[in-house]
Amino acid sequence: MGFWRGLRHTAGWATLGILAASVLGAQGVAYLEDHYAKQELQIPMRDGTRLFTILYTPKDPRQAYPFLLERTPYGVAPYGKTAFKAELGPSPLFGKEGFIFVYQDVRGRMMSEGKFIDMTPTLPAHDLPSQVDESTDTYDTVDWLLKHVPNNNGRAGQWGISYPAFYAAAGLVGAHPAMKAVSPQAPIMDWFTGDDFHRNGALWLPHLFNFTVNFGRERPAPTTSWPVPFRHGTSDGYAFFLAMGPLANANRLYLKGAIPFWNDVMAHGTYDAFWQARNLRPQLKDIRPAVLTVGGWFDAENLYGSLQLHRTLDRQSAGTDHHLVLGPWVHGGWGRTPGDRLGEVRFGAATSEFYQTTLELPFFLEHLKGGSASGLPKAMVFETGGNRWHRLEAWPPANVKATNWYFQDQALGLAAPAAEGFDTYPSDPAKPVPYCNGVNIGMAQDYMTADQRFAERRPDVLAFRSPPLAADLTVAGPMQAELWVSTTGTDADWVVKVIDVYPDDFPDPEPRPAVRHAAPVNPLGGYEQLVRGEVMRGKFRDSFEHPEAFVPGQPTRVRVPLNDVFHTFRKGHRLMVQVQSSWFPLMDRNPQVFTDIYTATEKDFQKAEQRLHWGPRFPSRLILPILQ
Amino acid sequence: MRLARLLVLGLAGLPLAAQGAGFLQAAYRKQEVRIPMRDGVRLFTAIYIPRTLPGPFPFLLHRTCYGLAPYGPEAFPPDLGPNSALAREGYIFVNQDVRGRMMSEGTFQEMTPHLDGRGVDEATDAFDTIQWLLENIPGHNGKVGAWGISYPGFYAASTLVASHPALKAVSPQAPIADLFAGDDDHHNGALFLAQAFWFAAAFGKPRPEPTPSWSWRPLITADTPDGYAFFLGLGALAQAEARWLKGGIQSWTDTMAHPTLDGFWQARQLLPHLRTIRPAVLTVGGWYDAEDLYGTLQVHRRIGAVSPGAASTLVMGPWSHGGWSREDGSRLGAVTFGQDTAAFFQEQIEAPFFRHHLKAAPDPALPKAYVFETGRNVWRREAAWPPPGTPTPLYLQAEGRLSFQAPLDATGSDGFTSDPAHPVPYTARTEQRVAPAFMVEDQRFAAQRPDVLVYQTAVLERDLTLAGPIQARLQVSTTGTDADWIVKVIDVYPDEFAAQDLPDPGPEAWEAPVNPLGGYQQLVRAEVMRGKFRHSLETPEPFVPGQPTAVAFALNDVCHAFRKGHRLMVQIQSSWFPLVDRNPQQFLNINTAKDTDFRKAEHRIYRSRTLASSLLLPVVR
Repeated sequence: MGFWRGLRHTAGWATLGILAASVLGAQGVAYLEDHYAKQELQIPMRDGTRLFTILYTPKDPRQAYPFLLERTPYGVAPYGKTAFKAELGPSPLFGKEGFIFVYQDVRGRMMSEGKFIDMTPTLPAHDLPSQVDESTDTYDTVDWLLKHVPNNNGRAGQWGISYPAFYAAAGLVGAHPAMKAVSPQAPIMDWFTGDDFHRNGALWLPHLFNFTVNFGRERPAPTTSWPVPFRHGTSDGYAFFLAMGPLANANRLYLKGAIPFWNDVMAHGTYDAFWQARNLRPQLKDIRPAVLTVGGWFDAENLYGSLQLHRTLDRQSAGTDHHLVLGPWVHGGWGRTPGDRLGEVRFGAATSEFYQTTLELPFFLEHLKGGSASGLPKAMVFETGGNRWHRLEAWPPANVKATNWYFQDQALGLAAPAAEGFDTYPSDPAKPVPYCNGVNIGMAQDYMTADQRFAERRPDVLAFRSPPLAADLTVAGPMQAELWVSTTGTDADWVVKVIDVYPDDFPDPEPRPAVRHAAPVNPLGGYEQLVRGEVMRGKFRDSFEHPEAFVPGQPTRVRVPLNDVFHTFRKGHRLMVQVQSSWFPLMDRNPQVFTDIYTATEKDFQKAEQRLHWGPRFPSRLILPILQ
Repeated sequence: MRLARLLVLGLAGLPLAAQGAGFLQAAYRKQEVRIPMRDGVRLFTAIYIPRTLPGPFPFLLHRTCYGLAPYGPEAFPPDLGPNSALAREGYIFVNQDVRGRMMSEGTFQEMTPHLDGRGVDEATDAFDTIQWLLENIPGHNGKVGAWGISYPGFYAASTLVASHPALKAVSPQAPIADLFAGDDDHHNGALFLAQAFWFAAAFGKPRPEPTPSWSWRPLITADTPDGYAFFLGLGALAQAEARWLKGGIQSWTDTMAHPTLDGFWQARQLLPHLRTIRPAVLTVGGWYDAEDLYGTLQVHRRIGAVSPGAASTLVMGPWSHGGWSREDGSRLGAVTFGQDTAAFFQEQIEAPFFRHHLKAAPDPALPKAYVFETGRNVWRREAAWPPPGTPTPLYLQAEGRLSFQAPLDATGSDGFTSDPAHPVPYTARTEQRVAPAFMVEDQRFAAQRPDVLVYQTAVLERDLTLAGPIQARLQVSTTGTDADWIVKVIDVYPDEFAAQDLPDPGPEAWEAPVNPLGGYQQLVRAEVMRGKFRHSLETPEPFVPGQPTAVAFALNDVCHAFRKGHRLMVQIQSSWFPLVDRNPQQFLNINTAKDTDFRKAEHRIYRSRTLASSLLLPVVR
């Protein structure tokens, strides 16, 4: 969802509204000015609200073109009739093909009229003109375009990354018959269970704070510009958010109550009606357009939404022509990074170019321009570790077998341990476990593949490792950890990190020079690559609606679902699981006392002693879907 | 100890630009000779004599255990002498393999014990060499100088022991003085594991016969590039021998056999043998020398004590081990010093020192101490080292505070669990060997751990400048019977401290670029006391579990300004791995301890009126 934020990370601090240099090389303003005409429009919705919309129309009148729509809360900059974007559409290939590119400020953002609502709830019925949502706004926009823009071929498509992908997905609901192809890329599906701001009820603190402090400011009147950004005064997110103290201090110190959505989050500490209304999944039925859902294995924001959208269509809209692409990408990385590496981890090829050329463009050409059949499989999924694409008939693939890896004394094994035991570790909210080994104010983009040795070396992190694997082990699909835990407190977070431990002799793919007579530094020898990490805020272990305290000292089962992976732990590597009770500042601190964390005070935060049990009575295990 | 060979090999890349083998070959002629010592042992020596410059010339002697490469009468190194100015001015450069190393005869001993006239040692070998040179090499002016960095710094310092009358100027640079108390292998009896192991594994390989060839390749190859994993995977320290070195490295075997400051280590102490000092001395070291900072400071201190009238100058710069000779000295890690400090030293201090004492050039009037003040980044000329100041106690207080007032609370302490299975790393990086920049590394990674106590002052309202050693005076207790106590003095930069070369994100960007120096916790000085040695390095003594006990020790000198707007931070921890080996936290011989001897312990630092913990800071204006 933090598309722009992430964008500027990789784009070398491009100013807002200017698209990042893309993988294939931007089309370039000059080319686009030569070949396209730009119009600025106010398109009326059924309730009379007018949405600000920019059209880039091909100058060549000899053929008719489909519409390609992006609806966004981030602005359609550059504003002004003569200012052109440097790139049109999801990749540079589109500008050369010829589309009528439509960019629209969603209701209540930037230059559009109306009132903005975060994750606009999709209404169950649209009978009255006043019953407007993103579904109707999309419909009305397409309808207006078909009737008013000459030289259209009667077809429309939509795309978007991150928040705009939510709009693309919401546009699927009750879609206009002319809407033929939609690609939600990293869509938001549910902000409480797994996208952006919460994971299983635990708050993604810097992500919410850093996003809403800018995005969430009220817009008193339509505008083409953004307010002056908030400055933290430090790059050290660990220090900033630790010094902030309890979450309630955010308003007192910084936000001053002026960010409505922050206040909403603080007011809705469980999965109540507020959040349930923002869950798009129940509405995704009988979807008519073809769908290409795109996501990144290392998307720190909306991997969950990508997986959930595809899964929901599978379940609720089986007749839809829908496809899934998952690559080794960060949030939006398929559009603005080469996709050949993340941090120290390499993927062996420029995966983004492959995606743009052979998957994304053919999908839209087939459905919007009568191009040849794209030949897209149901799921085109990149296997990390093995570093290759798979054409699959389903995601997750059918030929997987759930396999238990049992926790035992510092080890993971396939055999359930006969003896009983436990490991213990302290969890001190004053010294939370960092989520990365560096200085960052937000979510470091590469934390999802980062080396976890820094964490293993702490006394408040448990590590369990398998013996070196005798053969490749390929995990395909969602994972689940089933922990038997006890705590001296009454609430606790349980973070499970699934890690690929490289062998010590893993060669450095780009050997670093030796310094003096020392051995060269090779961070990949013994590297502990995070493959997937997830948290369960303990009080939500059985229900997000009805939190429940722990009984101090009582072994309790906590299931931690982990998002899908398609990863091969190579022969000679080890499988490792780390368990910890904080992951800071990625995740807010748990006071370890059963309470409403959003109103907790400093004195509520207490040290606790955690235990992870194993053995016959308390068979803590990691359940992996192993590809057969 | 590791540097000098690189210098001789010319891998160094001198800041003043290498002289170049071509220039040296044109300007000098080379002789290789075997100089007989008083016991008949012959030491291999290469002599480079100016061909064209007008003489006579002084000798400049460099005695080394790292080899004189390139060997062969026609082969020239790219550099001669400590800096390139000297070769251009004309000296007779004499490089000598010490007894038992490389091409010299005899038996090598680590840190050759000084016998004070009762036999041959480095002092007599230097004396005999000088005498032979004066008698056998024509064209000299009767004056001799000596220099060396690291181990050769020890050999240079040894020339000062009952020195030859012709020896007029000596520059021990990063000399080793005491391998148990503070240099290289141990600090206050705690083994500097990673450095000692890898040095021994390479340097300690046996030399059965004289040879011109040698390699820094260790006897063994580690099974991982991750030093923390390598040494933790070792388990108990005895495994280093049992699993890896297997008796192949005598110096390691000796180290393991002598876990206290016994006769073995006492015989290797340099300082007691420095008595009457006749030559002028320029002792040189780096504030961030992870190997021989102790020796540098102690050699200078000792000379001042035994020969207050000697022409003795201490030079301390913002350098890692040998950094004054190998780098430009403008930065270390993320910390910058604003100038090319190495060139300043070479041009303004080192060359004039030798020129004056060996070639009768004008007196550069060097002060007693020429030290670089880090933080403010200026050179200071001092009439004494340490300069006069105000020893000022800084007390640990509740809630992680430090203040100049003694605590008033009747009780108060902070605790942490020290777990030998999860020792505190000394660096946030993954490296097999100890890279020098850890001496200024950001300590936030440590502050974030539950087993590191953190105390800091309020934001400083004016500069706080320290010059000299810092005394740590802790009141501690442990549930074990031994423990290591590590005190780290840290300069906390203000959040707005801007790194150089930050990209400008533009005014609209939601996030400012990462500024790693905002809030940076720069290590300024740290030291370990292996608790059982708190009263005596010779006679260790256990802790009584749970009983508050005073542990006092000195941190090596600093000259550092904590600037206005910064904070002074102290971190206290009980491991520093694998820089320091793990303490089993039981009172026993760690070198023979078993894996099962290593236990968790609860540690407390007291900060009450009656049990105050403090640092005594050498505050100067």
